[in-house]
Amino acid sequence: MGNKKTKSKHNSNGNRPRNGARAGNPHGGTAALGRPVERSSTMGNNSPNAGFRTYSIPDYRLEHPDFTVRQHTEKDRQGHEHVRYEVEGNLDSPVPPIRDSKYLDKKQCIEIYRWMLINRKMEVALENLYKQGKVVGGVYFGLGQEACSCASAYALDKDDWFAPMIRNQGSLLVRGFRASDIMMQYMAKADSPTKGRDGTSHFGDIEKRNMVSPISMLGDLIPVLSGVALGARLQGRNIAVMTYIGDGGQSTGVTYEGINFAAVQNLGLVLFVESNLWAYSTPSEMQYRCKDLAERAIGYGIPGVIVDGTDACQVYDAGREAVDRAHRGEGPTLIEAKMMRMKGHAIHDAASYVPKPMLEFWKKRDPIARFENYVVKEKKWLTAKENEALITEVEEVIEAEREIAVNSPMPTPESAEGGVFCEDGCHEIKPKYGMPKVKKGTGSYKETEAAVHLK
Amino acid sequence: MQLTYLEAIRQGIWEEMDRDPTVFCLGEDIGIYGGAFKVTDGFIDRFGPERVIDTPIAESAIVGAAFGASLTGMRPVAEFQFMDFIGCAFNQISNMVAKTHYLWGAPAPLVLRGPSGGYVHGGPFHSQNPEMWFVHNPGLKVICPATPYDAKGLIKSAIRDNNPCIFFEHKYLYRRIKEEVPAEDYVVPIGKARVAREGKDLSIITYAAMVHTALEAAEILSKEGIDLEILDLRTVSPLDREAIAQTVKKTNKVIILHEHSRTGGLAGEIAAIINEEAFDDLDGPVVRIAGLDSAVPFSPPQEHHYLPKVEDVVRESRRLNAY
Repeated sequence: MGNKKTKSKHNSNGNRPRNGARAGNPHGGTAALGRPVERSSTMGNNSPNAGFRTYSIPDYRLEHPDFTVRQHTEKDRQGHEHVRYEVEGNLDSPVPPIRDSKYLDKKQCIEIYRWMLINRKMEVALENLYKQGKVVGGVYFGLGQEACSCASAYALDKDDWFAPMIRNQGSLLVRGFRASDIMMQYMAKADSPTKGRDGTSHFGDIEKRNMVSPISMLGDLIPVLSGVALGARLQGRNIAVMTYIGDGGQSTGVTYEGINFAAVQNLGLVLFVESNLWAYSTPSEMQYRCKDLAERAIGYGIPGVIVDGTDACQVYDAGREAVDRAHRGEGPTLIEAKMMRMKGHAIHDAASYVPKPMLEFWKKRDPIARFENYVVKEKKWLTAKENEALITEVEEVIEAEREIAVNSPMPTPESAEGGVFCEDGCHEIKPKYGMPKVKKGTGSYKETEAAVHLK
Repeated sequence: MQLTYLEAIRQGIWEEMDRDPTVFCLGEDIGIYGGAFKVTDGFIDRFGPERVIDTPIAESAIVGAAFGASLTGMRPVAEFQFMDFIGCAFNQISNMVAKTHYLWGAPAPLVLRGPSGGYVHGGPFHSQNPEMWFVHNPGLKVICPATPYDAKGLIKSAIRDNNPCIFFEHKYLYRRIKEEVPAEDYVVPIGKARVAREGKDLSIITYAAMVHTALEAAEILSKEGIDLEILDLRTVSPLDREAIAQTVKKTNKVIILHEHSRTGGLAGEIAAIINEEAFDDLDGPVVRIAGLDSAVPFSPPQEHHYLPKVEDVVRESRRLNAY
């Protein structure tokens, strides 16, 4: 405003070279996941492929399962036709080893192993509570996805934020919620984090654990977490904000809006795309057309990477590198974790639509069995006896948590009332990471000229 | 000083950004361009691009990001270029933002604001009054000012409020009305109606641009000896039940006037409140004047037909007065 001298300053709102104008070094975030990733390069003029660009997506998996699910019509004995899913491809490949982590030491691996055990044993306890009629509504399981939930959340620092999806109960445990918190949510108890007002993993904590509550609609957390990073940045902090989306949930429009917003604003979003192959009963083949969802990252102009979601070390390493990028202010990362949802959508769903050979294939890739083998047999970080003791300890923890949850009362009917608004004295609103430092331009207030649109 | 309705809003946001470093703006074309209606004109030069953020055309991302930032203790002010486009962010507002405090105790001090309303030949997607989509969403405050004084006082209240506030600016009023606004800091409380005109014969309960329609009708009717009282709601959620009951108890006859479609409109809710609070005081039926049950049509004669007019208020007032 009235400034004669034009100064060009880098700011959060762009000023980065765009496609075409850049020399192989796109965006501020150069070292994608710790190493330079050439995401766009145009072949030289002499090349037969002149004019074509190539992109690369790092894939850290030690195997590349190759099969597809398709709809198939079969006849029963009476000659009636039924449409079923069938799987085609190589389902006999051997289980790959765990990839050694670049960062995790022995103690940390055992800790992640313990979190995965707590995650699973808690879900077993929940299943039993359901069968005893103590759960209100359904139960959602993360069976087969424990490595992704636990090792991802383990990569966050204390000041970072996260938001789980329904199956990421392991993330909640790693970030400091108790198993009884989750159990009480399922049982709609008075002492649950939402005091009975919502169930499942639908709760949050903006004070201590920096968690945003999920809602049932998919994808909406992505712009919200981006906004958390924006708020922190205005307060002078580059934080990582981690959330998850499934291969089903990523179909929503708000997923695109959220990732794109984080990309444009260069915010520290760490998005785990959990490709667990089934969205309720719909296979990923009917959800998207590209080969791997990590490829979407190219379109967003951000780094994308593929990991084996049943390998805790791969999940952690990718998560850690993305978190580090976020802390350096280098922007978002999309991590596709490949695995399979090993139970139905919720407890009522027997998942009979899943072809048996597919289930068998992924059963052999159970993340906990693989990691147990890695820690006990391969690395010999735990003796058989120590492992047994650990499992017993976890079972005791879960039993104690179950007791707490079961003994919590149901909320009173009247407790349905109140709390719709934040009233006076209810919460103090203050910047979490300190008052933003305000730079004021020279522009002073003056009345604006005539409106433009729709007089 | 004399300020237009638009200038009052602009000054209100400017002063809040000056006062509180946690206040920032985001929206489409609000930066260098200054917003489609120039509400944030000059803001980027004064407050910098960090606090005046041009976003992609992505309403869900705008609301989501505003909400996320509010969770860290910021006070975002998000602009919708037209309030018609708020529908694109409906899920984010209704299921994420509105429910957050009730469900998990997180306050969301954010403001969603933008131009709404007809009478400018904007067509079906630039003329709507979508406030009722949000009145039916517990957890949101819905504000619809009618005057420059209230617009400035209410935008300041909304920014300082610890709850999500949706602030509907009537685009017909932006530069058509001007009034004296104090230079010193002041706020207008959310949830309180005001009597825009004292009268004894019958009450018009209304808000936003319709306040001025009612005032015009009152001038015409005063020559016939019909004395209208006009209650300007200012906030449509939460409603000022007390003020509604009070005016009914005073005049015993009531017309509810609003621009949006009749069915499921605010008048139905207010009629129910009158039933609950002041049924015995009624000397005639509760009358509704509202937009047609259709989209807002584009062509001026059609739009004119769709929207409530001074002559509608005059006609219905005469009818009810004679009742």
